Amino acid sequence: MIKKIGDNICSPLGFTTEENWHNLCAGQSGLRCYETGFDLPEPFCAALIDDEVIEENFSQLSKNQSIRYTKIEKLSIISATDALQRAHIDASAADVIFIFSTTKGNVELLQDLDGYEKTRPYLWRTAELIAQHFGNPNPPIVVSNACISGCAAQITALRLLESGRYRYAVVIGADVLSKFVISGFQSFKALSPTQCQPFDAHRVGLNLGEAAATIVYAGEATSHASDFWISSGALCNDATHISAPSRTAEGLVNALQEATKNIDLQEVAFINAHGTATRYNDDMESVAVQRMGMTETPVNSLKGYFGHTLGAAGVLETIISAKELQEGKILPTRGFCTAGTVAPMLVATQPIPTDKSLFIKMISGFGGSNAVICGQISDNTIRPTENRQKTVENCRILTEISIDNRQVVVDGEVLLKNSNPNSNSWLSDIYKHIGMEYPKFFKMDRLCKAGSLAAELLMRKIGKSIEEVKRDWAVICCNSAGSLDDDRTYQQTIQDAGNYFPSPSVFVYTLANIVTGEIAIRHKIQGESSCYVAPKYDKDALTSIVAGVFENTSTNYVIGGWVDYDDGRCDVRMSIFTKEKINQKIL
Amino acid sequence: MEQLIEELKKEIIEVLNLEEMTPADIDENAPLFGEGLGLDSIDALELIVLMEKNYGIKLQNAEQGKEIFKSVRVMAEYIQEHRTK
Repeated sequence: MIKKIGDNICSPLGFTTEENWHNLCAGQSGLRCYETGFDLPEPFCAALIDDEVIEENFSQLSKNQSIRYTKIEKLSIISATDALQRAHIDASAADVIFIFSTTKGNVELLQDLDGYEKTRPYLWRTAELIAQHFGNPNPPIVVSNACISGCAAQITALRLLESGRYRYAVVIGADVLSKFVISGFQSFKALSPTQCQPFDAHRVGLNLGEAAATIVYAGEATSHASDFWISSGALCNDATHISAPSRTAEGLVNALQEATKNIDLQEVAFINAHGTATRYNDDMESVAVQRMGMTETPVNSLKGYFGHTLGAAGVLETIISAKELQEGKILPTRGFCTAGTVAPMLVATQPIPTDKSLFIKMISGFGGSNAVICGQISDNTIRPTENRQKTVENCRILTEISIDNRQVVVDGEVLLKNSNPNSNSWLSDIYKHIGMEYPKFFKMDRLCKAGSLAAELLMRKIGKSIEEVKRDWAVICCNSAGSLDDDRTYQQTIQDAGNYFPSPSVFVYTLANIVTGEIAIRHKIQGESSCYVAPKYDKDALTSIVAGVFENTSTNYVIGGWVDYDDGRCDVRMSIFTKEKINQKIL
Repeated sequence: MEQLIEELKKEIIEVLNLEEMTPADIDENAPLFGEGLGLDSIDALELIVLMEKNYGIKLQNAEQGKEIFKSVRVMAEYIQEHRTK
């Protein structure tokens, strides 16, 4: 368990948690309809934060005047400053780790770099600047797992603090909107032209929103007082499709079962769902709730107040859900009128009083990813962790591969050399050479192609059938460029107003974690899937992430490692890891 | 019409990255989705872009695609009737 010792939300509904809560209780929404904006040819409905409000708040902070920050960086710094002041900790200490959750960071700089340095669109660079602002000495961890990033980042915090690697984690979730992001969702026909209606029979799509939210977590061994704990979390992949939610809610149900295995479901006050108001997401969540036997448990969605705030959503919605428990009041689902999901569920339509002390936060996203965390406002609801046997896992590499522009090397042996390093066909050449039969390969972006080829060869090496459903396998990828290679391709489809045709099949790959989704689909991997972004390959950091998966889940095998594609340069260093157990008594 | 069908097949192969397929492999009367080409929901969205980009036909609702993308022939007939470029 870890405890929350400080938090903040910056959204159109306010720049503190209290201000947001006050406006939520008054039924306010940050959503507005805009006829124009971001140079988009079509109107849209979104929850935008006024630039002037950001400037005003940012101007009050003491800061390094020599650095020019972008909008998302300013918002993140404002949010983290407030949360850290409430936590009363020294963020420049070595036992504090910054964990940054975002989907698109500074992607709008692809349209116009606006005098910023070339590395500024890289997610690790944004995280680095934020952590440095607070004088933190550790390389920050960037979690970029599409819509589930904010919950995945909290699960990362849980593992790092429980293992004792750090004492404090500053989890910041942030995303801002841009022509890039809105046009992409428009090309997906996923946006509602009016305020969204989660779980409603007449829902037609989602609204996007801007926000930054921060939670400062402390390990249980610290002496801080707290009023909110995260007890468990789980990540599971559907392994069915990179954008469409599973019709059977496979990954979400698996994550729910894993995260709640030590919890009496009768004690759950409510489920805070993703509730985006797209037809398929909301249907999937209703199926998951039914399969969990929780159709009598109140469910709410906060999207009618904030819109879908992407990388901020998991953090922001956890803070509000904690507040709901503390105030004993389950918030209604704004925009919901008429039940309209494929399976029945008890959607909160007005404030519901509660005296229970647990909630479940669930969230799903592109790449087939699902995350569930359990939060509670007392530290005695779940069974005590003292004096239990904990198994510390070591990672053992079964097989490894590297793919760069020159060659493919499997377990030290050269499998194929690139006869023409200047050609664009290298990845297709490998595909043909190894006799892979998977037409979907040609639809992928280069990052996914590279990762998929490596995974194919690794699985063949250990003789694992692609047909076998792999519940005890996880896919973990890390890279430097995120999805920037595909981001640049997508930008070309919207850059020129006279030739503006945003491509949905390119946009779907503009998330760093899609490569983990593609590997999960091909190899039917239904365990954890996660993607991290770091400035450069770091074997120890990677091994530590993989060890964290082994320590905390029932995973027996991890496929993954470094998978980067940037500026024509392919850099894949992937392995299949298994675990070696060392039993240790935790005192 | 036959010329439009042929042109459309080439465009579909290109925008949907149906590598290793030729126009002759696509039966213009067979369903585009479900069995056969193995197309999915993202492909349907990309066909909507194709209709707008190449023929000036703007579909507001992805649901409309279900009727129009029944087969290459149905799609060609719709384009013939509604094209603005």
